[in-house]
Formats: sequence, C-alpha cells, structure tokens
Amino acid sequence: MKLAVVAVGVLASAAGGAVGGAVGSAAADPLRLRADALTTTASPAGLLVLDAQAEPRSGLSAEAIVWMAGARELDDSASGDVLVMTLRGRTATGRASGQIGRFVSSLGALRVTHVDGGALRVRLPKRFDLEAVAGVPVQPGLATARSWDWYAGGRASRRLGEWGAIGLAYGQRRDDGQLASEELAGDAGFTLGKRSDLGARLAYDLANPGLAEVAVTASHRRKAVRTDLYAIHRASSHLLPATSLFSVLGDVPSERAGMLVTWRAAPRLDLIADAGARYIGAPSSRPSGEMSDGMTDMLGAELTGRARLRLDDRGTSALTGELRRSGVGDDTWTGVRGAARIALPRSFVAGVEAELVIPDVDRGHGTVWPWGLGSLAWARGDWQAAIAVEASASAEYTSRVDVLAQLSRRWSPR
Amino acid sequence: MTGNRRVIALAACVVLAACAGILGLRRPTSAAFPHRAHVVAGVSCTRCHAKVFDGKADGKPVLHLPDDTACASCHAKPHDTRSCLGCHSSPTAVAAVIEARDHLKFDHARHAAPTSRNCMRCHIGVATGDSRLRPVMATCFKCHDDAASRDGRRCDGCHVNLADDHTLPATHLAHDGDWIREHGTRASSSGELCESCHRQSFCASCHGQTVPALPATLALGNPFQASVHRGGFVTRHALEARSDPGACATCHSPERCAECHVAKHVAGALRGSPHPAGWVGLAASDNRHGREARRDPASCAACHGGAGEALCVSCHAVGGVGGNPHPPGWSSRQPMSAMPCRLCHPVGTR
Repeated sequence: MKLAVVAVGVLASAAGGAVGGAVGSAAADPLRLRADALTTTASPAGLLVLDAQAEPRSGLSAEAIVWMAGARELDDSASGDVLVMTLRGRTATGRASGQIGRFVSSLGALRVTHVDGGALRVRLPKRFDLEAVAGVPVQPGLATARSWDWYAGGRASRRLGEWGAIGLAYGQRRDDGQLASEELAGDAGFTLGKRSDLGARLAYDLANPGLAEVAVTASHRRKAVRTDLYAIHRASSHLLPATSLFSVLGDVPSERAGMLVTWRAAPRLDLIADAGARYIGAPSSRPSGEMSDGMTDMLGAELTGRARLRLDDRGTSALTGELRRSGVGDDTWTGVRGAARIALPRSFVAGVEAELVIPDVDRGHGTVWPWGLGSLAWARGDWQAAIAVEASASAEYTSRVDVLAQLSRRWSPR
Repeated sequence: MTGNRRVIALAACVVLAACAGILGLRRPTSAAFPHRAHVVAGVSCTRCHAKVFDGKADGKPVLHLPDDTACASCHAKPHDTRSCLGCHSSPTAVAAVIEARDHLKFDHARHAAPTSRNCMRCHIGVATGDSRLRPVMATCFKCHDDAASRDGRRCDGCHVNLADDHTLPATHLAHDGDWIREHGTRASSSGELCESCHRQSFCASCHGQTVPALPATLALGNPFQASVHRGGFVTRHALEARSDPGACATCHSPERCAECHVAKHVAGALRGSPHPAGWVGLAASDNRHGREARRDPASCAACHGGAGEALCVSCHAVGGVGGNPHPPGWSSRQPMSAMPCRLCHPVGTR
C-alpha cells in the first residue's frame, strides 16, 4: 500500500512537471483543466472532480483526475481519491509507447483492471504487436491495499492488413500473495468489406479451469439499416476471485443471444428493436452427496423497442421513448422510459427523464417503481451549470426526492 | 368500411405531412450553395473564395467564406438587403467550416503549390453536386499516404485533439446499435484504435475502482448521456443482477456490493438477515440458498466472502449436512494452504 501511495506521489510530481513544462512553453497541446462540482441532498453530499490534461510536446502527454467527496455518514470525514494519473510517452516513429501511473488496463479479452503501474506496447516487424502491463491493482481508498497485491499480463497480437486483428493475452492477479485470477484470453476483430464487422472474445479461467466469458458480435449495415447479432456466454463462478469459496460450487453458465436492428427511418428519426433470449442453465455437474435443490433451466425473453427523434439537425433538442421487457424466472419486469432534451433561449437546456418499472413478482416491495429526473442546464463559454430534481419509489423506499446541482468550469487554450 | 379506410389514409397523409419537417423529410428552406452551377458557368473558385490562400490570421487559417461584396460583383441586383449566404447556403455551412478549421490541422495556403491552385484536385464532390464538398479522408491519403501514421493510430498529424472534441467519425467506427454492450468486444482487438479518441479518463470514468460518480450522474442535465447504469438502475439492479449472473462481477468486486448494502442498511449488523424464509433447510422446497448460490455465486460472495465463508463450510464439508461442495471432476490450481482450501483442508491434510 505504501508503495502505491509513493508511486502516486512520484507520478503526481512527474505529471506536474510535464504539465508545468507545457504551460510555460509553446506546447503542442497546452494544459487543459476542468473542475466539476456536484452537490446533492443524497449521500455523498458534495463532490469535487479536478481534471488536468496536457501534451507538452508531440508524443508525451499527462493526465490526472482527482476527486474529493463530502461525508457519506454524519460521523465520516470527507474522502477523496485518484481516478487517473498517468504519464504517457511514444517514440517518434510510434514503434513503442508506454505509460506509468494509475490507469485502466485492458489487454485484449482479459478483464479490465485498474492498476497503479506501468504498461508498454511495442510494434514488431510483420505487423506483430506486444503489450505488457504490471502493477498493483487499485483498491478504493488510499489505505486499503495489501502488501503483496499485484497484477501482470501480456498480449501478443497481429494486425491483418486493413481488415482486422487477432490477439492472445495472459494475465495473473494476486491478492495478498494468493492467486486471485489467472486467465488466458483470445480476441479477434474483422472488417468484412465495407458493410460488415465481426468481433469475438474468449476468456478462459486457468485458476479454476473453465470458460469464464465468451462474446461474439456481428454487424451489417445496408443503407439506413444496421443489424447486429450477438451472443454472450458467462460463467459467474469463473469471474470470482479464485480465493472465494463460491468459485468451487460448479459451473452454472448464463447465456444471452439476440438481434438488434437500428433503422434510420427518417433523417431525424431512429427506430431500434432488440429481440433476444436469456438462458440460465442447471448445473452441468452436481456435487456428490449434494441434496436436491430443485434447480431447473430458466429461459427469458429480452425485448426492447426504442425510438429517438432529433428536433433539429444537430440533435440539440431530442425526444426518446423506450419499452422494455427483461429478466428470467421470478425476476422478469416490464419497463417504460421516456426522455426529452429541449434547447431553450439564452443557452439554457431543459431535460426530463422518466421511467416506470413493473416487476412481475411483487415480493412485498411494491408493484410499480417510478423514477424521474427533471433538469435545467446552462452552458456558455467555459462555464456549465445544471440543477435537477430526482424523484423515485423503489423496493427500498416508498418515496424519495433529491435535489442535485452541478457547476463546471474549463480552462483550455484559445 | 372503404370510407373508413380512406379517412384513415387521409389522416395518415395529413399527419405525415405535418411531421415531415420534424422528421427532417422536408427540404430545408435554404439549400446548399450551387457550387457546381458556378463552376459550370466558368467562375473560378478564387474569384469568390479570394482569401483562401492567404495563410493565417491570429494563428488560425483565414476563413475563406465569400462576403456579399463577392456575390455583388456578378449579381448586380441583389433582391433584398439580407446576407446572401443567409439564404443561398446550407444553414449549417458556416458552422461546419469553422468547425473544420478548429478540428483539423489544415492550411489551404500550404496546398496551393502542390495542387497548382486547382481546388478540384481535392474538392472532387463539386463535380457531382453541392451537398458534399469537404474531401473525405481517403482523398487526403491519395497524396499523404502515411501508412505509418495509419498503422500507428497517430491521428494527431491531421486531427486536433480528438479526445476533447468528441468528434464522431462519419464513415467508420460509428458507435450506433447497443454500443455499451458491444464496446468491450470491439475494444478487445482494437484497443489502440479506441485510444486515438478516448483518453484514460474516459475508460476509467466507468471501469475505475475509484469512480466517485458515473458519467451520467455528473452530466445530470443531459438525459441522453449513455450509461450502463441508466436512470433508476438502483431500483431494478437486483432484478438485473439475478437475471444476468456474473454481469456485476465483470466490473465490480463482490466487496463493492457488500460495502453499499451495509452502508444502506440492506444487510449487515444494522439489519437482520436479508434472506427470505425457507432459505436454508433440509428439504428441497425450503432450501433456496443452494439454487441461488449456483445461479449467481458472486451475489453470495458479496456478503459471505472472506471470513464469512466459515459459515458455509460448517455445513458444506465431507461428512457435513451439506455434503462435499466440489462438483465431480472439479480441479483448481490453488495450493491447499491457500484460501479457501484451508478452511476444510488444514495444512498437511488432503
């Protein structure tokens, strides 16, 4: 943990130096700053997000986001954390690039991991690429990480001309010295002609051998219609840390497959239909001596219809409506959603968003869960402000009203 | 019946006509400027766009849009006092030219010599119509065949700060469909391509472990801000989690669930057991916990992880009432000395 704090401090200095250099020089992309303040009657009561980005010279950039929040509870003190703090560099030819600091690592189809560490990418001859990441997995709160946590991974990939890429990645994570996850993952993406794309990813759990996640998606565009086919297989026991007892329960995968059609019915009108099915299987194998628990296969429909109408050519004002049916077994629900954004004079924008969720099974938590948010936003130059009222009723409470306010300011080169 | 159909058809036509403007079906009041007609009439481009090769002013390329004087040099009798481009050009043309100047590292003056001041070398759209005059990227690549930049995803040779401008490509990488579901699969093999427009802060704003508030919460004035946890997600998250086992665990650690549930007094010391009657029992009818645990073990691990697992193995052990928890053929690369093995297999035993 101390290592993480020191690393963040060093990076802060490094990034600060780079940023300072950018401010003082005729930089390629000088310092850009942004501050967002959010206050709400819900917890946490206040939030301040500070964002800084700079590219002092071509091939070198720094980026940092830190935040401070008000008290979560009456007896809790204010807290804060670092979301991103990186220094990125790239050689002039682009053959090698790297970054150090706190960042989100995504190596092919491996799980996305937030780390304090470093990453390197090298381009090899014959369109081969190598990537490597190593660091300490980020734990929320600066004082919670353990002394022997680390994450390391690598990916080898090959670009296939202009029409795709394939890759193979390996990643291992240890929590407190123990193997938490070890995955081997493959990914592929292809562009088939001018109109079709195909993407696939597969992650195999090596710590608790079995498929953790597989996703395949294919899309085809023809004139105003885009069609997507998708299929996802996920085994939640393989997504748990290997140190969890629940990872030994057996493999109960869930699957989802369907088709989504997006049709630009008119220049300003988009119609979207998504029809799919969810399947949660019975355990593929049963523990010896296990008592019967009556578990059966479950199949559910996943249906969504959505319309979006832009009220002007740039889409500044727009309306949308959506009808959705989702879930499996006793957890099915039907939902309706509507939203509108209307541009008003003097740089004001009014927004309204409303949802109604009707669960099939009451469970004593209410038969209808409404949620709504009305907002008024204003933006001029580098300033933005917004105020909103959010009201809802849910399984947790019968009614709730919160007021939110936001103020943002940008500082960027003219 | 036939009369009713006619009335319905007529009503549909009236509604469609009334909505034509809203849907964008009606021709805009001011059409695109008739460039082609001027070219065919022999008017040279620089006669109207006189300042196009003038270089920069205030550090930016000069805006080369013709003013009314340029029009009046030929059209001797303008029919009213309004600006010519106010009616004789697309309503978004001026904004588009300003946008292009701000978002592209391009200078007409530097292209004067290589093109011999022949605008048609790049603006080939003029030959076919008036609506699409800005050259597409492929036109640039006819001369600037910089394969290394393309391969290296170094867009900043031409584009200015793609990450901040939120410029959506018109011809490639359109983020339509259900992009939130799809982006992970696409990014797996094209992560480097994503980075040409999206900074770390964009990825971390959802995937970071230290996210203070999701982008949709911070953009409270924009109901169209894309978000994986849209609108009243908090209300329906239990239904969605149970219908899509493992979905939560792809981003969140189980501890994240426990932290929130304890903070909101849904579970933990300040609240009794969240489980319904019949959760744990000997008969299949009153033993729901096994079924639910297999369906989504991550939800159980949210509260029963770590030291809480001792509760589970008090029954689920060889010889215990819950029996051996390992399915046939189960294997793991964990050493016996590691958690959770040592809960049942003390060091030195098998």
